Amino acid sequence: MVAGFLRFNNSQDMRVLVVEDEKKTASFVRKALQAEGFAVDVCHNGDDALAAARATPFDAIVLDIMLPGRDGLSILRQLRERKDTAPVLLLSARGEVSERVEGLNAGADDYLPKPFELAELVARVRALTRRGGENKSIVLRVADLTLDTVTHKAQRGGTEIELTAREYRLLEFLMRSAGRPGGRMMILEKVWDYDFDPGTNLVDVYIRRLREKIDADFEPKLLHTIRGSGYVLRETP
Amino acid sequence: MKIRTRLTWWYAGILIVSLLVIGVGTYQEISEQLRHSHRREPAEHALSETGEMIFQVGLPAVALGLLGGWWLTRRALAPVTKLTEAIKKIHERNLREPLSRTRNGDELDQLTKVFNDTLMRLDDSFNRIREFTLHASHELKTPLTVLRGETETALRDDSLSPAERERFVSLLDELRRLTLIVDGLTLLAKADAGQITLAFEPVRLDELVRDNFADAQILAEPQAIQVELTTCEEISVHGDRHRLRQLLLNLVDNAVKYNQPHGGVIMSLLKSGDMAQFTIVNTGAGILPEILPRVFDRFFRGDPAHSPTTDGCGLGLSIAKWIVSAHNGTIEIGSVPSKLTTVTVHLPLHTNK
Repeated sequence: MVAGFLRFNNSQDMRVLVVEDEKKTASFVRKALQAEGFAVDVCHNGDDALAAARATPFDAIVLDIMLPGRDGLSILRQLRERKDTAPVLLLSARGEVSERVEGLNAGADDYLPKPFELAELVARVRALTRRGGENKSIVLRVADLTLDTVTHKAQRGGTEIELTAREYRLLEFLMRSAGRPGGRMMILEKVWDYDFDPGTNLVDVYIRRLREKIDADFEPKLLHTIRGSGYVLRETP
Repeated sequence: MKIRTRLTWWYAGILIVSLLVIGVGTYQEISEQLRHSHRREPAEHALSETGEMIFQVGLPAVALGLLGGWWLTRRALAPVTKLTEAIKKIHERNLREPLSRTRNGDELDQLTKVFNDTLMRLDDSFNRIREFTLHASHELKTPLTVLRGETETALRDDSLSPAERERFVSLLDELRRLTLIVDGLTLLAKADAGQITLAFEPVRLDELVRDNFADAQILAEPQAIQVELTTCEEISVHGDRHRLRQLLLNLVDNAVKYNQPHGGVIMSLLKSGDMAQFTIVNTGAGILPEILPRVFDRFFRGDPAHSPTTDGCGLGLSIAKWIVSAHNGTIEIGSVPSKLTTVTVHLPLHTNK
C-alpha cells in the first residue's frame, strides 16, 4: 500500500467528486479512487452535488445518471451552464447508445455503463484528470521499447518487431497511456471501437500475442496484467 | 340477427321459389291438357303426359334447390373464410390490431369479439414478460455493480494469500459472465419492446468483414484453427456499423468456440441478387438436425453432453438473429453433424436512392 501511495503521490492534489445514490457503490468507488491517491468527496443527490461543485473546483466528477430527484444529465447541463468545465464521467445502469450520445452532447467527457470494472473506472478517471497527460510525441518510448507513430515501426533493444495493424493500435494505446492501467472495455473502445463487451477473449488473446513479440525475448518485462481486470505497460511490475 | 334465423329465412326463400316454379309449371301443363281434352286421348297417353310434366317441372326445381343450397352454404361460410384469412395474418407483433367486426351481433361476430379479447390478453402477457425481463435486467445491475466492485476491492488487498486471490479472481470471472448475460438480456428485452433505434448509414460490409477476418485469425490461433476468407466482394449495405460488427464478431466467435483443434473456418462475402451474402463455415461437432431449429432461442445450449464447456452467455445467436432481422435480412444455419456448420446471412444491399 505504501508503495502504491508513493507511486501515485502526484495525484494527491487531485480532487474527485463522486455523485452516486447507491451507498455501497459510492463507498467502493471512493475507496478505489483514494487508493490511487485522489482526494474524494461523495454526494448522494443532485442538489448536494451542485452545491459541492460550486464550493470546490474538482479535477473530475463521477456522475451517476439515475439519481433520486434531479437526474445526472440535468446536473451535468446545469454545471455546463454555469461554465464549470470539470471533466465528467457518467455512470448509468441503462447503457443505451442513445443515452451515451445524449450524455456526451450534454457535455460529458466519458460514459461507463453499469456494472463496470473498478479498474476501468479508475483508469478512466485518471485519463480524465490527465495526470501526466497523454504522451503526444511522434516516437513513443518505454524502457528500450520504441514505437514510431509515423512509420508504425516498433523496436526493442535494436531489434525490429513486426506488428499487424491491430497490434500496432493496441501497442500505441498502451504506450501513450504508459504507466496507467487500461481496462478491458477501454481497450475495446479505443483499439477496436467497440461500444459493447463482445464477451470474447479478444483483448486477452491480442495482449498475449503482443507480449510474445515485445517481452518474450527481452528483460525487463513491460506488459503487465493488473489483477485480472486491466493491462499496463511499464518498467516496474 | 342470429345466423340460425338468417339461414332459416334464406332457406324458406329458396323453398318458396322452388314451390313457385313447381306450381307455375304444373298450372301451365294442366291448363294445356284441359284445352286439348276434347281429343279424348287414350289413358296411356295421359300417363306419359303426366310423366313428361313431372320431368319438365321437377328438374328445374331440383336444379334450383341445388343451386340455392350451394349459394346458401357459401353465404353462410363466407365470414368464416374471411375470419380465417384475418387470423392467418396475426403474429406476436400485431396483437394490438383487432380483427374487423361486422357488429351485426351474430355468432361469428361474437366469436370475433371473443377472439379479439383473447388477443388483447395475449398481448398483455407478452408485454408483461417483456417488461419483466427489462425490469429484471435493470434490477440486477445495481447488485451486480456492488458485487463486482466489492470483489475487486477485496482483490486490491495486498495481504491476500495466493489461494484467496485465485478464489476472488474466479469469482470475478463469473461476475463478468453474469454481466454479459444481464447485458444481453437487457439488449434483447429492449429490442423486443422496440426501444432500440439503429443508426443506419451506408456501410462497406467488405471492410467490416476484412477487419473481422483479422480478428478471427487471432482468436483461432490458440487452437491452431485455420481461418480463410475466400471471397470478399466490394459491397455496401444500409446498416448500423456497430451492430454489424457485433454480428460478425459474434459469428466468428461461435465458429472458433464450437470448432476442434486444427480445424478450419471459411468465410466469404458476395453479392447474391439484390442481397449481400455472408457465409461462415466451421468444422467441429456440428449441430444435430432435431435441435437445429432451436439454436436461435435464448439460452438454448443444445445437447449438454455434446456442447463443450464454453464461456459464452447463451444469447449470442439470439442477438445475431435480432441484428439481422433489424436490418431486414435473414440468417440461416445448417449443419452436417460431426463435420461442419454453416451460417448464412443475407442483408439488403445499399442502393443509391
